[in-house]
Amino acid sequence: MIELTGVKKSFGKQEVLKDVSIKVNDGEVVVILGPSGSGKTTFLRCINFLEKAEKGRMVFGDKILDLGHVKKKDILYIRRHSAFVFQNYGLFAHKTALQNVMEGLTQVQKKSRKEAQQIAEDALSWVGLLDKKDFYPAQLSGGQQQRVGIARAVALKPDVILFDEPTSALDPELVGETLEVIKKVAKMGITMVVVTHEMSFAEDVADRVIFMDGGVVVEEGKPSEIFYKPKEERTRQFLSRIIPVDQYVI
Amino acid sequence: MGSYFSAERFINVFPKIIACLSVNFHIVFWSMLLGTILAIFVAVLRLKEIPVVKQILSVYISFMRGTPLLVQMMIAFYGIPLVLGELFMGLFGINLNRIEPAVFVEIAIILNEGAFLGEIFRGAITSVPAIQTEAGYSIGMTGAQTFFRIVLLQAFKVALPHYGVDFVGVFQNTSLVFTLGVVDVLGKAKTLGAATGHTLEGYIAATIIYISFSLLLKGSFLLVEKRLIGGRAYVV
Amino acid sequence: MSFNINSFTDALKSAFLYAPVTLKLTVITFVVAIILGTVIATVRHYRVPVLSQILAVFVTVYMGLPMMVALLLYNLLFMTFYNDVAGALHISVPISDVNPIYIGFFALILGTSCSLSEAVRGAFRGIDKTQYEAGYSIGLTRFQTLIRVIFPQMVPILLPGLQNSLIGLLKASNLVSAIAVTEIMTGALLPSLLYYSYLESYLAAALVYWIIGALIEVLAHFAEKNSGRYLSRAIA
Repeated sequence: MIELTGVKKSFGKQEVLKDVSIKVNDGEVVVILGPSGSGKTTFLRCINFLEKAEKGRMVFGDKILDLGHVKKKDILYIRRHSAFVFQNYGLFAHKTALQNVMEGLTQVQKKSRKEAQQIAEDALSWVGLLDKKDFYPAQLSGGQQQRVGIARAVALKPDVILFDEPTSALDPELVGETLEVIKKVAKMGITMVVVTHEMSFAEDVADRVIFMDGGVVVEEGKPSEIFYKPKEERTRQFLSRIIPVDQYVI
Repeated sequence: MGSYFSAERFINVFPKIIACLSVNFHIVFWSMLLGTILAIFVAVLRLKEIPVVKQILSVYISFMRGTPLLVQMMIAFYGIPLVLGELFMGLFGINLNRIEPAVFVEIAIILNEGAFLGEIFRGAITSVPAIQTEAGYSIGMTGAQTFFRIVLLQAFKVALPHYGVDFVGVFQNTSLVFTLGVVDVLGKAKTLGAATGHTLEGYIAATIIYISFSLLLKGSFLLVEKRLIGGRAYVV
Repeated sequence: MSFNINSFTDALKSAFLYAPVTLKLTVITFVVAIILGTVIATVRHYRVPVLSQILAVFVTVYMGLPMMVALLLYNLLFMTFYNDVAGALHISVPISDVNPIYIGFFALILGTSCSLSEAVRGAFRGIDKTQYEAGYSIGLTRFQTLIRVIFPQMVPILLPGLQNSLIGLLKASNLVSAIAVTEIMTGALLPSLLYYSYLESYLAAALVYWIIGALIEVLAHFAEKNSGRYLSRAIA
């Protein structure tokens, strides 16, 4: 279980996260929605300490951390028990697809090269890219790169995978293949927190949807509640602006 | 350290040494002026890829890049009078062996800059995207108009930072001229040292002068760059 | 005075005989300066408190000092203070037995480290922030990310510039001739002391430098071809 309470974060004078609290149960898929600038990506990055929150408390399994004063050791612990899928893929540019997946297995989990290669090949085959294992990121399409990114995350067998707008940098025709792979991850029962703009995807896979705006959680609930019976006016407004456009694109 | 370094001697030699800075700047001025002109010719000629000329230029650039300036200066100093001495004597009545050594230093630096700046300019010109030329043609400009008004202007901004670094480099390279007996900042520090038996003060003065003026030149170029790049950011 | 081919070949032989001195100066300085320059750049890139500020000031100021001035200054300081320091440390080697090449190494390493540190800083800036984050996200430590992700990606960014630095260093090593180290140029001059055949000697020295410079270019071309494979966009 992961629980964050009272997370605050500012960039200069601008308060991006005012007081955000969420709880994610084991095996749960939580989707965070919200307009751009709502702080959802920043919040996700705070969970993996890619941004440093100024205030807040994190419960991660049996660890309890004060986000204002975290030790390096604890940051490493969280990162080693979670994985992150980046908006712009974040593959190591100088490593092949296979080496990208193996890196964490050999360097962090200290697995033997042989074992790591086996796990990495399985993961790549699972995302349908075994034939591209010796390709460098620059030689792969965006959708393929993101699938390698997902394979890299899954191979580490983390307690939670954090997805930061995993399809928003992709060409429209490549979004589908990537979402399919993410759905596959969801079906495995891995705990997931996903920041996305893909509404129908959210409706499909989410156990719970959190709507953020202006640095706070406005509303949360089951997808059926949020999409069809939103309680808050801001949620309604956001959805009325997004959904038609989204359907138009598809 | 007191016996080695005396503030009094330092104060005494400093004005004498900084007075020789004009020699360094004289060399920098003529070398950069003529070197830049030569470099533009070299860059344009290389871009035109004329058979024979192309090979000659690449040998010239390779030689200038591959050999030390000090050696080039010495070759100019001993070689030019040998090759052109009789010609100059016959045509103009000039004895090249009597010409100030600073002139040979300048010739060496000019030739050196023709190669180095030439490559900088060539790189800058090729960095301007082809679509800029096409855009020029598309509105009915001639080839020359497009080159001077569109391409060269944009290339200038690309080349400027490198030009600044190169300029400071030439100023620093004037520290070699004492080897041919030119009395510049370092040459003066050496001669004063030889005359008085106390060299340290002079060297420290030269160090301070070189560092300050290098930084000053570098700062001036950065300032010019900032203005121009600010202008570009506005346009884009 | 005219060109004497025998003097030229004598000078050439002598220059080649001393080429190892130049190569030693160049290669050792290069390797040490890459390491030191990378350390300086890394400290500055990660903004290590106090140390990064000190290094920033030092590098900026030191880059204003021409190599020749630095060499003469260090040589003088060495001559002036060696006996005192050696006495204090109970070193019994007389000053005449200390090879001035060490002063050359000191000056070359310091200057080259500063300029290479600037190049490495530029390479740091050329690497996307996501590459660090990707490393952190899979649980690599900062040090692991630096060594396994960032440094390898800096190699192809740095290589073209490093080739220029290496050739620049080869040429800068020529300046140690001013502090009585016998390298290619002073080696080439040895026969001319008998015959006053200076031009032949300097031309011979230039040729040897040119050959070494060309070899460096060939090697660098080879290294560049092999280091940046991952940057190629060609889809098989």
